[in-house]
Amino acid sequence: MADAELAQSAARGDSDAFGQLIDRHGLAARRAALAVLRDEDDADDAVQEGMLAAWRAIDRYDPARPFRPWLMRIVVNAALDARRRSRVRQAEPIVDSLESSGLGPDRRAEATLLREKIQAGLAGLPERQRVALVLFDAEGWGHADIAAVLGVPEGTVRSYVFHARRAMRRALGTLAEAMK
Amino acid sequence: MTTSPFDNQRDEQLGRLLREQLIGSAPEVFLRRLRRAVAEAEPRSEWDILAGWARPRVMALAVAAGLLLWFGTWVAAGSSPRDPGVMVASLPAHTVLSPQPPAVDEIMSAMMERR
Repeated sequence: MADAELAQSAARGDSDAFGQLIDRHGLAARRAALAVLRDEDDADDAVQEGMLAAWRAIDRYDPARPFRPWLMRIVVNAALDARRRSRVRQAEPIVDSLESSGLGPDRRAEATLLREKIQAGLAGLPERQRVALVLFDAEGWGHADIAAVLGVPEGTVRSYVFHARRAMRRALGTLAEAMK
Repeated sequence: MTTSPFDNQRDEQLGRLLREQLIGSAPEVFLRRLRRAVAEAEPRSEWDILAGWARPRVMALAVAAGLLLWFGTWVAAGSSPRDPGVMVASLPAHTVLSPQPPAVDEIMSAMMERR
């Protein structure tokens, strides 16, 4: 069933239909929230808050438009709000997610090094550049959608992505090529 | 990674690395947590659903009512008589203020002055 149909069922009160939408988009929402907050617990809380807000506002979703950007905008805004509320909190390292099962010791060491470099690269980016980079390259958002969420012109988003890519390239060096 | 930072295309390799890094721990547990949170959230009552359905229609009705009111006022103003009525001001002041009816001479002289 298409997202829009599930959303319409959810708008009629069907929480199972909304659950299916969670299964489809929950992890993308988590990545976006992690890009903003860099702390897994905070990100998970923000995604939950965003999902509940989306559930309560599902009757305002326009089925003629794609569902994912609508949902992600709510989640990213929830994460940005959480970020504003907890500016003083020190971000924890992003979780060890590159499970190295099946990799030999050399590849595992490379994967660990790559993970550390990505974490360092992301940590070194200003928040808006980090969000723009993740939403554009990892989540496939368009410049216009990112601009709408961040409240900046499209040209500024292009600039964010440019600077973020340059910084990430510097942080990763030749490792990314080696991991291909 | 892409060679040009100005490239409008997505950098698939960087995107893949970021997705791997930002997946978080125990994704299935996380999705279950979200589903449970929605299921346990205050259920949307029938009134909520009805309100969501009715909201745009109520707004449309309010706008239509406002337009009708404005149109009615405009039509009423357009059809009001332009005849100013009795021109008592042309009569001497004491004939208006006096409890006694004015004399015929006073009325006649007022009418003659208007000519």
